[in-house]
Amino acid sequence: MKSLNFSRWFPSGRTTVIGVPFLFLFVFFLLPFLLVVGISFSQQQLGIPPYTPLTKMEDDVFTLVLNIGHYKFMLGDDLYFATYISSVQMAFVSTVLCLLIGYPMAYYIARASESARDTLMMMVMLPFWTSYLIRVYAWIGILKNDGFLNQFLMWLGVIDTPLRLYHTNWGVYIGMVFSYLPFMIMPLYAHLVKMDLRLLEAAYDLGARPWKAFVQVTLPLSKNGIIAGSLLVFIPAVGEYVIPELLGGSDTLMIGRVMWDEFFNNMDWPMAATVTCAMVLLLLVPMALFQHYQAKVMEEVK
Amino acid sequence: MSTMKPSKPLSYAVLGFGYAFLYLPIALLIIYSFNESKLVTVWSGFSTKWYWALLEDDELINAALLSIKIALMTATAAVVIGTWAGFVMARLNRFRLFPLFAGMINAPLVIPEVIQGISLLLLFVAMEQAFGWPEGRGVFTIWIGHVMLCVSYVAIVVQSRVRELNRSLEEAAMDLGARPLKVFFVITLPLISQALVSGWLLSFTLSLDDLVLTAFLSGPGSTTLPMVIFSRVRLGLNPEMNALATLFIIVVSVGVVAGNLYMRSVQRKRDREMQLAFNQA
Amino acid sequence: MKKKLVKKVLCSLLLLLPSAGVLAEDKVLNVYNWSDYIAKSTIPGFEKQTGVKVKYDVYDSDDTLQAKMMTGRAGYDIVVPTSNFMAKQIEAGIYQKLDKSKIPNLANLDKALMAKIQDADPGNAHGVPWAYGTDGLGYNFTKVKAILGKDTPLDSWDILFDPKYVSKLKGCGVSVLDQANDVFAVTLHHLGKDPNSKNPADYQAAFELLKKIRPYITQFNSSGYINDLANGDICLALGWSGDVNIAKHRAAEAKRTYQLGYVIPKSGAPIWFDVMVIPKDAPHVDAALKWINYIENPEVNAAITDEVFYPTANAAARKFVKPEIANDPSIYPPESVMKTLFLLKPLPSDIMRLQNRLWTQLKTGR
Repeated sequence: MKSLNFSRWFPSGRTTVIGVPFLFLFVFFLLPFLLVVGISFSQQQLGIPPYTPLTKMEDDVFTLVLNIGHYKFMLGDDLYFATYISSVQMAFVSTVLCLLIGYPMAYYIARASESARDTLMMMVMLPFWTSYLIRVYAWIGILKNDGFLNQFLMWLGVIDTPLRLYHTNWGVYIGMVFSYLPFMIMPLYAHLVKMDLRLLEAAYDLGARPWKAFVQVTLPLSKNGIIAGSLLVFIPAVGEYVIPELLGGSDTLMIGRVMWDEFFNNMDWPMAATVTCAMVLLLLVPMALFQHYQAKVMEEVK
Repeated sequence: MSTMKPSKPLSYAVLGFGYAFLYLPIALLIIYSFNESKLVTVWSGFSTKWYWALLEDDELINAALLSIKIALMTATAAVVIGTWAGFVMARLNRFRLFPLFAGMINAPLVIPEVIQGISLLLLFVAMEQAFGWPEGRGVFTIWIGHVMLCVSYVAIVVQSRVRELNRSLEEAAMDLGARPLKVFFVITLPLISQALVSGWLLSFTLSLDDLVLTAFLSGPGSTTLPMVIFSRVRLGLNPEMNALATLFIIVVSVGVVAGNLYMRSVQRKRDREMQLAFNQA
Repeated sequence: MKKKLVKKVLCSLLLLLPSAGVLAEDKVLNVYNWSDYIAKSTIPGFEKQTGVKVKYDVYDSDDTLQAKMMTGRAGYDIVVPTSNFMAKQIEAGIYQKLDKSKIPNLANLDKALMAKIQDADPGNAHGVPWAYGTDGLGYNFTKVKAILGKDTPLDSWDILFDPKYVSKLKGCGVSVLDQANDVFAVTLHHLGKDPNSKNPADYQAAFELLKKIRPYITQFNSSGYINDLANGDICLALGWSGDVNIAKHRAAEAKRTYQLGYVIPKSGAPIWFDVMVIPKDAPHVDAALKWINYIENPEVNAAITDEVFYPTANAAARKFVKPEIANDPSIYPPESVMKTLFLLKPLPSDIMRLQNRLWTQLKTGR
């Protein structure tokens, strides 16, 4: 009866209710993408806008010109290829580092007393609320040649000459792990905290060593948390711009930076669009994974 | 049972290291904002002069005011649209294009901002070529961009809250003859108000903090705080930036901690009342 | 045919709409200029004199400016591109001709210098120079002399381009401008080729030379090197004249013990002009003209040079400039040096592309 009631009054209103947010997302999210795809087939020109139109209407003849030169150039060019590889590699290393630091933290937070848990989680989230730029900035003072870290290590006598960290890939890794750590801890914690402890107990009762119990029980149970956290770190990290720009060196190859440069420095919008398309393609698989996982979470809530 | 407890020393070591990693840079930042010297890494005495310098920095103050204005606009709009979209996700998810809809909600969570920035800018440029609107870029285009950035977060927070809702209240109201729209505003909305508040706050911070999208979508006179900070940080360390960062961190920390405590007390009160109601029944 | 007519009428109607607003006195002016390039008193003075409110934004590379302009309707009334970039942008038709009758202070400008930018802007129809400067070597004299010895001549590009020297300086830091244009021009010049060459092979040759010294370059940077030089993080910089002098000034302020300085190599160096122009779609043309006229007021102009260490083409302003700056040959190149300087010229787009390409390759060390 109830559900029938619902469906009786919705049909007229229903379309509007769904249509408005749908349209909004379509116009400001999907449509821009289609435009990017379109512009990747046009040509650079000096003028406003800095690309040639794809279609022409001349004497009732409609012509569509698709320039695939940019794709050819990108595929034949080892620099772009190397940049993609290096971005993925840097994002991957950052993700693994995040996991290595984040998992034990999430584990022990989830195992802490109930009153301590909320406070500990709040402390993980707090840096996330403060400005991202400021957090990256904080590391410059630490990593510089005469920065705190080097001063401290030299004072300890561990090193004689300052370590070069600022403007190197190491700086980028540290910055990325620092900025993305909360994204890793959150989903991990969410999974670890609702884990049924009786399973572990059973494993112990059966004589499993703590390490084995962890590998055979805890780890598989937190698998979804690991996947979610890793994707939340990996995907944005591939396209990161600010961290490599501020902490990385000029030889730090990251695709976000290349896109920024193509766009702002070389003024080559069609090329930037092409690189963007390729990057979306590259991220399609992890994004589909993420989408799949999100859908699963929704099912679980139901 | 005792075997269940993780080893204490190890747990302290892990958490100690983790939190030190998260908080040491911020602590150093704050300490050195009181440094007298212009050189950030060399301590030369206590001074609050960089805070006074902030007050006289018109560029910074104007940018901060603009950022706050945009963040307020963004948070409000994102909550309206995000709630709407989240409600559709939770309740009206049986239409054919739903997978596309869900995809458009989830993708912006992870998609690199550079991609979103480029694509939105191209959209605005193409729109201007086609209909002469929007005229140039500025606060309006930044606003739209930021709303796009935040809508997904709000929608996801709202939809999970809506799913948890007990429908009986809404159905009772409907049985009593209330129109659906009225039910939504009178019953549903107050029930999910907590989600709306956290969505609003999250949007506010995201917008206040955004650099990449803003860089693509800004026009004359629409230089936001992150843009000013970024251009100055590129020039190297600057004690004034430390002072600004310190103020920022203090305001946000106080806000977040207070908000958290408040939420927790509300939650506890609600739990207690539920318990009471159960006991009486 | 009919459709066209309707379109025309509609267009002219649309054109009428904004012009109604323009008739009213402009109350705002949007200026987009290089960072660290203006005196503290400049804007307040203008606002007080004219009642026009200035919105001032900054950028730190010509590319950023060009990208903004080419996106269309950037909304700025005054922008300040470097002359070689300006030439291409004028070709693209994005700047308007100046109504010179509204800028009486143009009379203060140095005729010889104005003639130099005629290449980029025939008849000086579009632009009025904001300032000019040179590319040269910025040194931490104390450190460099300690490493290379007192007798090594520092007024030569060899210090940067000969691995014999530059390899020894790596330890104390070598910075190069992150501007493909400037660096390639200098390299070509050092190789004895035309710095504005249009021959791709020349660029390959320049690239080979740059690759040899790439291992010794510790950073590519066009703005942060000012502070790095001042703080002693680098000891050699391929930089801009005024910037190095700002660094020198800052180091003195912080009571640093070392000596900084700027040197124009004997064999010659690039000279460039940053030029104020008004975009075609500028919303406040009247205010923009007032601004140009105000900037060319000798005393206003001198105040800028005093603070940013860049000379201007305003001949009347020089006597108001602080004497220690006005008499500094590294800031105002004397006639004998002026003869060795060469102007950067606009390049065809395929050369630009090649340049950018090689530049990325060089920076990433591939």
